[in-house]
Amino acid sequence: MIDAMTFLTIVLMAGVTYLTRIGGYVVLRNRTLSARATAVMGAAPGCVLISVIAPAFVSKSPADILALAVTLVAATRLSMLPTVLIGVSAAGLLRHLIG
Amino acid sequence: MFAADITRVQKQPGSGGREARQGRRMSISQAVEAAGNGSGSEFRRGVASCAPVLFGTIPYALVLGAQATQKGLSTVELSAMTGLNFAGGSEFAAIQLWTSPPHVVLIVAITFLVNSRHLLMGAALAPFLRHLPRRKVFPALFFMCDESWALGLADAKQRAAAGITPAFSPRYYMGAALAMYLAWVSFTTLGALLSPMLGDVGTYGFDMAFPAVFLVLMRGMWTGMAAARPWLVSLIVAALVYLFVPGAWYVAAGAVSGLVAAWLMAGDA
Repeated sequence: MIDAMTFLTIVLMAGVTYLTRIGGYVVLRNRTLSARATAVMGAAPGCVLISVIAPAFVSKSPADILALAVTLVAATRLSMLPTVLIGVSAAGLLRHLIG
Repeated sequence: MFAADITRVQKQPGSGGREARQGRRMSISQAVEAAGNGSGSEFRRGVASCAPVLFGTIPYALVLGAQATQKGLSTVELSAMTGLNFAGGSEFAAIQLWTSPPHVVLIVAITFLVNSRHLLMGAALAPFLRHLPRRKVFPALFFMCDESWALGLADAKQRAAAGITPAFSPRYYMGAALAMYLAWVSFTTLGALLSPMLGDVGTYGFDMAFPAVFLVLMRGMWTGMAAARPWLVSLIVAALVYLFVPGAWYVAAGAVSGLVAAWLMAGDA
């Protein structure tokens, strides 16, 4: 049921995540970060998330691009659940209609 | 108990002020004991304040569980990941990039980058934890997620403004944090169990759930166009690398160029 490489990956993920959780408390609590370091750390999660989904933005399927555009608009005004529902139905419907 | 004290302080400024001053003079062990009298209610207050956020998390947890199964993870593996790592954004990124066998270094590095925001969050919370022993702080920080951090910090600031010591209520924080933890682990597991009923996610458009979740998460991080410029750099670089370079290098290339852009742009300001 548990693959060795999968287990190793999960344990290492958990380890680095815990380090990020205690790191700020242990290392940064008596220091002030430079404005630059703050800017870089503030931008990091967004940079990673957008990079992971970047392939969707250059999809060769017109249905997928349209569905992504619909999802993007939904994400700017709605909360998580409606956005996911709209995104999933738009993708399903447009793929069915346009192919 | 503490909640009752707060209302008294607010209603009777004269005597309440004296109480608050005495409160400030209390040693930390006395304060913790005093808070301990109302521990059940503090914990429940934490759970209750977390409830609205919790309902929003459920669909997102179900989607993650279902997608993980489609990528070949067993239910036990998925539960281990969400239970040990307990950081949704990084788990979505890991599942999106998951292969069999997984690229260990890539996934661990991405996990670190997505969760690097915890460093800032922990630093912001640190002044409020100064009077707590480390043996309590270290386990409590395991449960620090965006939601429990935001609730705990906002509550501590409110209590500090009302003159309550200690400002940070560990039991309130743990109520919110444990509610999030239980919901996250159980609903991701449920998603994995329900996954076979959903079939191939691509057919119905379920794969669009990933961009949808990520875009909503990024909307939550939005602080203005200027701060979002590094994201645009990441998007363009990642897309180009994806189109022209084989493999999963596009994530690392996009993330690193965005960080470099953030570094350079911060110099302008």
